Amino acid sequence: MSTIQDFTGYQPTWCPGCGNWGIGVAIKSALVQMGLSPSSVFVSFGIGCSGNMNDFLNAYASHGLHGRALPVAIGFKLSNHKMKTIVVAGDGDFYGEGGNHFLHGCRGNHDITAIIHDNSVYGLTTGQVAPTASKGYKSKSTPAGIIEMPVNPLSFAITQGATFVAQAFAGNAPHMIETMKSAFQHKGFSIVNVLQPCVTFNKINTYPYYMQKSYKLGPDYQPNNKVTALGKALEFHEEKFPLGILYKEDRPAYHEHLPQLADSTLVSQSKPKDLAGLLGDFI
Amino acid sequence: MSQYLWKIGGEAGFGILTTGTFFSKIASRLGYFIFDYIQYPSLIRGGHNTYNVGFSDEPVYSLKQTIDMLVCLNKDTYTFHKDKLGSGSLVLYDKDEFEIVDSVIKIHIPLKKTLSELKGQVVMKNTIALGASLALLGADIAVLYELLMSQFGRKGEAVVNVNKQFAEAGYNYVLANYKEYIKPLLVKRENPPQLVISGNETFSLAASVADCRLYVAYPMTPSSTVLTVLAGWQGKTNMVVRHAEDEISVINTALGGSLAGVRSSVGTSGGGFALMVESISFAGIAEIPLVIFLAQRSGPATGMPTWTEQGDLLFAVHAGHGEFPKIVLAPGDNDEMFELTIKAFDLADIYQVPVIVMSDMLLSESHRSLSKGLVEKHMKEYKPNRGKQITAVDQSPYLRYRITDDGISPHLIPGAEGAYYQSNSYEHLEDGHTTEEALDRIHQVDKRARKTQTYLKSHFSPPKIYGDMDGAEIIFVAWGSTKGPVQEAQRILQGKGIKTALLHFTHMFPMDKETVLPFFNKEKRYILVENNSTAQFGKLLRMELSVDLKETILKYDGRPISMEEIVNFILK
Repeated sequence: MSTIQDFTGYQPTWCPGCGNWGIGVAIKSALVQMGLSPSSVFVSFGIGCSGNMNDFLNAYASHGLHGRALPVAIGFKLSNHKMKTIVVAGDGDFYGEGGNHFLHGCRGNHDITAIIHDNSVYGLTTGQVAPTASKGYKSKSTPAGIIEMPVNPLSFAITQGATFVAQAFAGNAPHMIETMKSAFQHKGFSIVNVLQPCVTFNKINTYPYYMQKSYKLGPDYQPNNKVTALGKALEFHEEKFPLGILYKEDRPAYHEHLPQLADSTLVSQSKPKDLAGLLGDFI
Repeated sequence: MSQYLWKIGGEAGFGILTTGTFFSKIASRLGYFIFDYIQYPSLIRGGHNTYNVGFSDEPVYSLKQTIDMLVCLNKDTYTFHKDKLGSGSLVLYDKDEFEIVDSVIKIHIPLKKTLSELKGQVVMKNTIALGASLALLGADIAVLYELLMSQFGRKGEAVVNVNKQFAEAGYNYVLANYKEYIKPLLVKRENPPQLVISGNETFSLAASVADCRLYVAYPMTPSSTVLTVLAGWQGKTNMVVRHAEDEISVINTALGGSLAGVRSSVGTSGGGFALMVESISFAGIAEIPLVIFLAQRSGPATGMPTWTEQGDLLFAVHAGHGEFPKIVLAPGDNDEMFELTIKAFDLADIYQVPVIVMSDMLLSESHRSLSKGLVEKHMKEYKPNRGKQITAVDQSPYLRYRITDDGISPHLIPGAEGAYYQSNSYEHLEDGHTTEEALDRIHQVDKRARKTQTYLKSHFSPPKIYGDMDGAEIIFVAWGSTKGPVQEAQRILQGKGIKTALLHFTHMFPMDKETVLPFFNKEKRYILVENNSTAQFGKLLRMELSVDLKETILKYDGRPISMEEIVNFILK
């Protein structure tokens, strides 16, 4: 059995009080409780404060380009579908720069868990507005307040085909761990949007803000209904934040549709022996 | 025999491509070498399509301009191409559809009448015309029947028979009415079996032979057929082929495959390649193997999508921000496309770098003869060289970016027990963790740069010489697909007593100065031939070798350079 220590890399450089600390511990705890080890997990990190977890979390990993963590994870999963594959990225990275990949990742139902750190700002570039910020949010890049409506990642994921859509809060570690474990266990594209205060740059979406406005979905909530789930996701626009699994369905993952991968992973296959049959097209 | 040029033209969407390919395959089955070229607008219906096939009993490197037989399925074909007819050229047309008043050799084929008599669809005009063409060249029609069987057999005997009926009608009409024009130019001869294959198909075949297991692309002319061909082969090759949402996803998905230890590749053209450039830089610093197939077309921006150009050489050479090693290869024909593509996959693994294989519309979409024996030999004998790829930890701790003399670090396939590491787009320490320390930065930059030195020593190939450099008065300098027209021009000039040599480059970048410089120290007339407007390879030679070639033949109207243009330049 691996331990939290096995997954623990360098001392994090996050600001004291940053929500990333809690998310980092929750990811490690969930992986340990799942019986995984740093050698059995692949994590594709985005670029930003969340992506900097690359040095703090031990695992096979890629710390790639801003916005592109998901396609790297998709390529990895297609090549080695037996390995647990996770994306760690921020809201600007995943919903802004990489928005197109998010859309198509949902459609494809790739067997990948995306843990998205949603703090409504770009922390690493010192506090510009992120796509999830409320309309009118004032930042260095939007001094008069942002004109656009915020992205609603949950309703987007539900409608575009993600098969596991959940929300957690960085201030509630036990709930975060349980939600992440469920996401890791899910076969298909799972997304956990983690509400995360940025103590340095975001003075609105603070710990007290989320404590006051978030609530846990009760035991009676059934996550198998798309319309109900959508209703929950839309509460975001009234500053209400449901926590837990909003939506879940079983649908074959992308790689399960590929006959090439039915017997073994792509990386472990031997070279095809007889390609002579390809030449008939050219005679 | 000298090259014979057959050309068919008609409205887009009426089966010109299929008929042209059929003609090439028939000539090849009869023992002749072929080269064909399709011209079409960026439209699906409407507009003018033509298909040109040159055949000969010796290899055809490029098409001549004079048309020997022009098959006109509509009036435009005649109007647009009559100025390319020679004195003995034949014009096949249907006088019930349009009149030709010029004094050319007119071969009337009753296309319209036959269609109505035999109740055929409009596309059958092609088949009638093909039958007539074969009759005029003395070919055995049975070869066409065999081809129809192998191409349409799975659609049922009825489909085959309908086609046969129309082909036969055209064939017999010529035998009955134009016996005096029949020349025995396509009579069966012995020749080692050849494939009729395009550059894109050759790349696809080579990638399959090279054990590429993940191909990712977004359709873009003229690279798209690699995607569709490889997608169609998945059942036979077990390759995973993914049509991703955009080119940025394409390249990052492929990089993910490479990270997992699978040979991966992407294909695109200029605009798509532009979107991939940031990720090429990622592959550079994170040392991820990748083969990028770049089929050039006329740019900039959307440019002329279905036409040819060599306009992206310097872009490819410089693609990616920051400084990192990459390799750029540019095959000049199908043999080189096959062998260099396989080499590209080895190089990507050995040096853990992006390798760009450059093509262009001319090379990508033209069919040429490719020795079946050569392909089968590689299929049988080729074993991938994965370089320093390892599947278990070789020393503890495992260091992904270990400093080595040759610049290459062992690449552990993720999943190995007892280890983990990150591939990092940030500058990093030997173990992969991020760093901003000055000395570590220098060590890693130097380590990566040493891979270039190792490559130049171990795998760089100097230009190939065609002809005798010492005996020649003119030395042509070319790269990629302009090889063919120059080779054909050399044949013509030889016939006129002008001795030439061709210095043809395929290993474009990086270039080994010491090896290449001596090729340029002869007291000769050097002429640079490129399908672009700014002599990009000339610039690269100045940059890399301080060699300045003053004389150039440049063409940038979207059409390939012709052998006649080169010959005329010399004779002017």
